[in-house]
Amino acid sequence: MSRYSKNKSGIFGKLLVTALILAVCGYAGSVVRTYLNRIDSDEILRQSVLKDKKFASVVQEIQSDKLSAYLLEEHSNPIVSVSFEFKNAGRAHEADNQQGLTNVLSDMLLNGTKSYAPQKFKDLSEEYGIRIGFSATKDSFAGEIVFPKQNTEMAVKLLREALLMPLFDEDYLELTKQQLVVALQLAQERPEYIVNDKLAEFIYGGHPYSRAGIGKQENITALTADDLRLFMTNHLAQDNLLIGVAGDVTAAETADLLQKLFGSLPEKSTGKELLPLEVISSGESINIERETPQAVVRFAAKGTYRNSLDFYPLYIANYIFGESGLSSRLNKNIREKEGLTYGIYTGLNISDASALLSGSYSVTPENFAQSKQLLLDEWQKMASQGVTQEELQLAKDALLASFNLRFASIDGISDMLLSMQKYRLGADFLEKRNDYIQSVTLKEVNAAAKKYFSTQPDFVTIGVKEEK
Amino acid sequence: MNRFLKILTALLCLSASAEAALFKAETFTLPNGLQCVVVENHKSPIVKQMLWYKVGATDETFANKGGAHLLEHLMFRGTSRVPDGEFNRIMEKNGADSNAFTGHDMTAYHQMADVSRLEVLLALEADRMHNLSFDEEAFKAEQKIVLQERKQVIENKPSAAFTEKLNKMLWGNSPYGHPVTGLSEEIESLTFKDTRDFYQRYYAPNNAILILSGDIDVKTAKPLVEKYFAEIEAKDIQRRPIAENTVTFTETLEMSLPDIQTAKMVHQSLLPPYKKLSGNIYDYLVLAEYLGGGETSALYKELVIKQKTAVSVSAGYRFTTGGNSVFSFSMIPAKYSRKQISAAWQQLDEVGQSAVSQLNDEKLAQIKRKILAGLVYVNDNPADAAYWIGNMMVSGFTLDDIQNYESHINEVTVDSVKNAFLAVQKAPVVRGVLLPEIVPEDEPEITAEEADEQILKK
Repeated sequence: MSRYSKNKSGIFGKLLVTALILAVCGYAGSVVRTYLNRIDSDEILRQSVLKDKKFASVVQEIQSDKLSAYLLEEHSNPIVSVSFEFKNAGRAHEADNQQGLTNVLSDMLLNGTKSYAPQKFKDLSEEYGIRIGFSATKDSFAGEIVFPKQNTEMAVKLLREALLMPLFDEDYLELTKQQLVVALQLAQERPEYIVNDKLAEFIYGGHPYSRAGIGKQENITALTADDLRLFMTNHLAQDNLLIGVAGDVTAAETADLLQKLFGSLPEKSTGKELLPLEVISSGESINIERETPQAVVRFAAKGTYRNSLDFYPLYIANYIFGESGLSSRLNKNIREKEGLTYGIYTGLNISDASALLSGSYSVTPENFAQSKQLLLDEWQKMASQGVTQEELQLAKDALLASFNLRFASIDGISDMLLSMQKYRLGADFLEKRNDYIQSVTLKEVNAAAKKYFSTQPDFVTIGVKEEK
Repeated sequence: MNRFLKILTALLCLSASAEAALFKAETFTLPNGLQCVVVENHKSPIVKQMLWYKVGATDETFANKGGAHLLEHLMFRGTSRVPDGEFNRIMEKNGADSNAFTGHDMTAYHQMADVSRLEVLLALEADRMHNLSFDEEAFKAEQKIVLQERKQVIENKPSAAFTEKLNKMLWGNSPYGHPVTGLSEEIESLTFKDTRDFYQRYYAPNNAILILSGDIDVKTAKPLVEKYFAEIEAKDIQRRPIAENTVTFTETLEMSLPDIQTAKMVHQSLLPPYKKLSGNIYDYLVLAEYLGGGETSALYKELVIKQKTAVSVSAGYRFTTGGNSVFSFSMIPAKYSRKQISAAWQQLDEVGQSAVSQLNDEKLAQIKRKILAGLVYVNDNPADAAYWIGNMMVSGFTLDDIQNYESHINEVTVDSVKNAFLAVQKAPVVRGVLLPEIVPEDEPEITAEEADEQILKK
């Protein structure tokens, strides 16, 4: 409310001009902004027949021999989702001359097993409505399977075989490598991909995190089936496996499922934790030359880890600054007020060995300098003035009210259970999460803002043009 | 077997063979013409609200290209009851994910939120249906933002010029061939008044469909929808009739663009609007699935795995539009010299032809199993149901049509798919090839004698 009246008093002159223009246009609507009949959303809520309900988010810890998982039972739809992740087995854990291996492996695990030829494997997954997918992040090799409960047996057979006895047929390996090389070419067409890779190179220089997202063409083409097998033996084991299970499945069924799917994997992995990387930014800026209608901008500074004491305060500071969408400070000032960009967003970008506070937007090449200055002004304002009590309250309201949205889809839930283990948040995290948010104080948020927004972010751009 | 058991068995057989409705959904219409669909999904206490207006870029006049989309942006910039900036703040405060999109025939506004906040969503959505009141300053700012959006989302793709030119060729002068955003110079020349007029002409309850999908039932929802929407008056809506595109042509566009690294091939057949098809959409959907629906499809198996002509190939059928429907193939060729491209087109034709001639009951049954096996997921995320139902209904399908999806698929026969393929073959076609600036040279043709010589030399 106060924010709006502030605006109103500041633009009195403009309002008059606007009224004149409107009159010329023959516009008959109300221009005098008194809002007699203003919508009061708080009052609507107080009187609403729809009351708060909390999703029954009971998370069980399932232990089955050497395997453990978090389970959330949800029986309204007969489907089951299992998300899993092998730690220290991602792109940064590939050998230096095998960059792209985990991406090739992600595809090859779906290209047949000892008992099922490639096409048979795919036919069966489709006919039984079984969705299996693998992917690699910098840190981990991850997988997901979603299936109708009635097809549990087939789902188990397919995934178990994919993990234990993949076929790695030579023809399919050649095709997969070729497809990945094409994916690499397609990525090179897009300024966003180029700038993302450049940012990684710039921020993480020398560290395995600085590798390109897809891989290196010469490494990809040289990969053999033996390379894939060796990587699996070393990195896909029981001791580095995290599992989240959600859906129409009981605790006993889950324990059984875990054994069948993962119980025969090697017990120990050889993947090593990466050395943590200290990110130091100083407002540096590099540009990749290219003719583009819009320059694509990435910026990054030091952030904080999920388990650090600074996490929640910085999480909220960042939310107000650039994560909350159209009403974030950045979007209000750079999008809504100046019309310089379609959207600008920031986020806490947390990996095993680094923590960033980073962001992205696009801007007309000539306007980069102006947008950067506005961004740096806002950045500096976070450090010097922090946020207001009103902004903090709005952020808390938003974060609390959106709690149940995380339970929209069953694979979203199993993914979340996985993250809870990855960040060691505990099985009771969902019960406590809203209290964590509630208890953050203005002082804490502003201390975090001061600490993290005092150093300027580095910028990596593509297509920027200097103003003449 | 006694009589009672016989009846029971008969009933069981009946219920086992009768196809279930796709969604747990009900519909009702308010006296002012607003049609509402409530889809139940009680997994999480959340709801997806989607309000679909039956108006889009094809309703614009020549002077107002891009106006429907700009208006969509301005719908977030205040009403006579909600000051500028407040809409987004209220949505945020209530933890709602709020957004909108504009198409050629429709404009949709949507939010996902905790179900306890549904009344706030309804109040704000109903309010901006009839009380929109943006000022000149907001208009100017959103005009700039929309320009930025076009540059970021469309023009920044190196293939943008190719895609827009191909659409123009396919649609000719039909408004479907024009980008929804409008061109940059068109966006710049949009006026406050035209945008305002467009709103007043087309935004009305009788020109919209409201979908509520999630932890809600029709008994609870109906009084709430009435509470906020019933007071809004219906309008006399005159939509611009769009002439069906009946030109017959076959054209090929070849374009080289900077920054393109590898070739892409697109084939588009212009079929009649779905209401005037010979056969029905399900024949074409099954055909697309059979020929190019993923890595088990006929084209993928033959062109990618066996002949190694392409590294990817797919087929699709787009029908949710008021204009012509489009059957398309897209392919990334493995090699792309001039000769290899023309050989790839020929193979696409031949393989398609031979796959369809080999279609039999057994293969068709397998395709149907694959399509139907995925249906268990449509009731997972409530947002999916809201999108599916809204998108179909705004294009003129009834809720019954949508609910009977399974039986529609089951009714498809080998003959009806073959007929659909014939129609695709006979339809006007536009083919496009997007190439890097440097294309590999063809090997020079060698004569039989030269070939012999080469062998001798070895």
